[in-house]
Amino acid sequence: MNEKSHLSSQFDDELGRLRSHVLQMGGLVETQISAAIDAYSKGEVASVKHIVETDRKVNDLEIAIDDDCAHLIAKRQPAASDLRLVFGISKIVTDLERAGDEAKKIAKGVRRIYEAGQMPSQYGIGIRHIAEAALVMLRQALDAFARLDAALAVKVIQADVDVDTEFKSIMRQLITHMMEDPRTITTSIDIIWIARAVERIGDHAKNVAEHVVFIVEGRDIRHLPKENKESKE
Amino acid sequence: MSSPLTRALLLALLAALIAWPVGHFFGAWVGWMLFSLSLAGQMLLHFRYFALLDRWSKAPVLDATLEGEGAWDGVFGRLYRHEKELQRLIAQREQEVAMLIAAGQALTDGVILLDEHNHILFCNTTAEQQLGLVARTDRGQPIINLVRQPEFVAYLEGHDFARPLTLRTERHEGTVLSIHVIPYSGSRRLMQVKDMTQSDRLDRMRRDFVANVSHELRTPLTVLAGFLETLQEIDPAADERHRYLDLMAEQSKRMQLIVQDLLTLSSIESAPPPENQPVDMVNLLDKLRRDAQALSAGRHTIIVESDGQGDLCGSASDLASAFGNLVANAVRYTPAGGSIRIVWQATPEGAEFAVHDSGIGIDAKHIPRLTERFYRVDRGRSRDVGGTGLGLAIVKHSLNRHQAQLEITSKPGAGSCFVARFPASRVVGL
Repeated sequence: MNEKSHLSSQFDDELGRLRSHVLQMGGLVETQISAAIDAYSKGEVASVKHIVETDRKVNDLEIAIDDDCAHLIAKRQPAASDLRLVFGISKIVTDLERAGDEAKKIAKGVRRIYEAGQMPSQYGIGIRHIAEAALVMLRQALDAFARLDAALAVKVIQADVDVDTEFKSIMRQLITHMMEDPRTITTSIDIIWIARAVERIGDHAKNVAEHVVFIVEGRDIRHLPKENKESKE
Repeated sequence: MSSPLTRALLLALLAALIAWPVGHFFGAWVGWMLFSLSLAGQMLLHFRYFALLDRWSKAPVLDATLEGEGAWDGVFGRLYRHEKELQRLIAQREQEVAMLIAAGQALTDGVILLDEHNHILFCNTTAEQQLGLVARTDRGQPIINLVRQPEFVAYLEGHDFARPLTLRTERHEGTVLSIHVIPYSGSRRLMQVKDMTQSDRLDRMRRDFVANVSHELRTPLTVLAGFLETLQEIDPAADERHRYLDLMAEQSKRMQLIVQDLLTLSSIESAPPPENQPVDMVNLLDKLRRDAQALSAGRHTIIVESDGQGDLCGSASDLASAFGNLVANAVRYTPAGGSIRIVWQATPEGAEFAVHDSGIGIDAKHIPRLTERFYRVDRGRSRDVGGTGLGLAIVKHSLNRHQAQLEITSKPGAGSCFVARFPASRVVGL
């Protein structure tokens, strides 16, 4: 929460509402991703349409929140931590929107595989596993934003390495698959797209976490070597 | 005691009475000086006590050292008593609040209090666990910032709380919560969160069971009916007819097996507790090994390990069929070349019978449901190897009747391990 009390409590309300909107958008993206994981592992192709529709809502929210940010800056001229918050929010929504896009890609990939008469889940359980890991990362990044908890955000940033490593091992597995039996190439390529999208979701979650560290501590830790990302506390 | 005003006047009069004769003998100015000095002294005394009071009022604490004399004594005394009473009241109220909070914490349902803007005022530990909240830091935070699922947000903002909301939370896989919002004292809200996972699971099991029984029986019945119809309409050649009849016999045998297993299951469920005869484990293990070898037909390595101690106590036929079932499963789901290890050993709690295999393994999400009736990890495969889908349900029930626990651990691709743990009361000759 904002430790300083503002002269105008209306400004506080506006900032609070803005934060809530971002987290609502995050909630939509979270359900999108978990629905996409379900579609992948349980074959619920019916939910694909719903995921695509949710993406439209997410897009609208991104535009609305960005617009609110611009208005807030113009009207209130926030300074210091408030300015960081507004800036951070504007960046976070971009990453959230992209994570939603990746969920849409997963859903469409799943539908393609099913339409080709294949079962995606037989291609390694690894994907489901990293997808869940990426979803947990995003959830924690959003929790860190809600609580302005830089320590949790740093944890999310560190978790991204695991998702990346697992992504590489899935790639190796799929390459072996394709070499053994060229008939699986079409499906394998679709699976690669899905794995790639999952890995990107992890990256976006990491970006969100980095923005949270920026909002809380005022340090920009993007592109820093790993050891410098530790929280100051 | 006289009022402070009379006391002050009396003191002034006394000073005047002394000063007047003094002034008379030593000159007027000496008399006036003495009079004003005594008045000033009186004032200084008052001022000192005023300064004490002033300092105290800036940080009022219960302070017995605050003492005065004359009029001030009464004032300080009353302040002290007032302060003491206040502290007692505060302590009492604090205790009452703490008791209310403890009562809220003790509830097995999650409870969250929200203000008019849905900010969290209070949440108990159950609610913390259910919804991933942290009471210490999340107080004052809008709840929709932390429970972000769109259906929850819509429910909370919809203002229609006649029906509870069923929410599948994503923080714990497979948990189903029922959330009921109750408005109270104007625009505040009490949120009650119930964990419905267990009853949801039971509901699903019941539905699945009926659907599964019908499905399992209908499949062979469809085949039977199809062939009967064919035979009614055309008169096939002798060898063709033979083939039909063979297939029909096979399907009716399948149905018979299912019905038989269902009957076994229901008889185990309603039967009296098993008799208490000792079961010779050496013999039983030997029989299990021979059966496994026969079923495997040389495709697997079968090892029996036993520490030679202890026999079981219970129904010999029930135990033999339960163990046989576990071993047969291991043989069926282990590809050729794999190994199966049957272990009987004493443990600190009693004894355990374990079957380890190097087979295909079971994904973790299936394990809790394996012993449900007709639950199948892979429908096609399990029917190919001739299962009715009731084997493990029967095993679990017969083991339960012997107070044994069935524990399943497995790693996909690496193999599974089924362990039946018996309590010491079921083991003799240790």
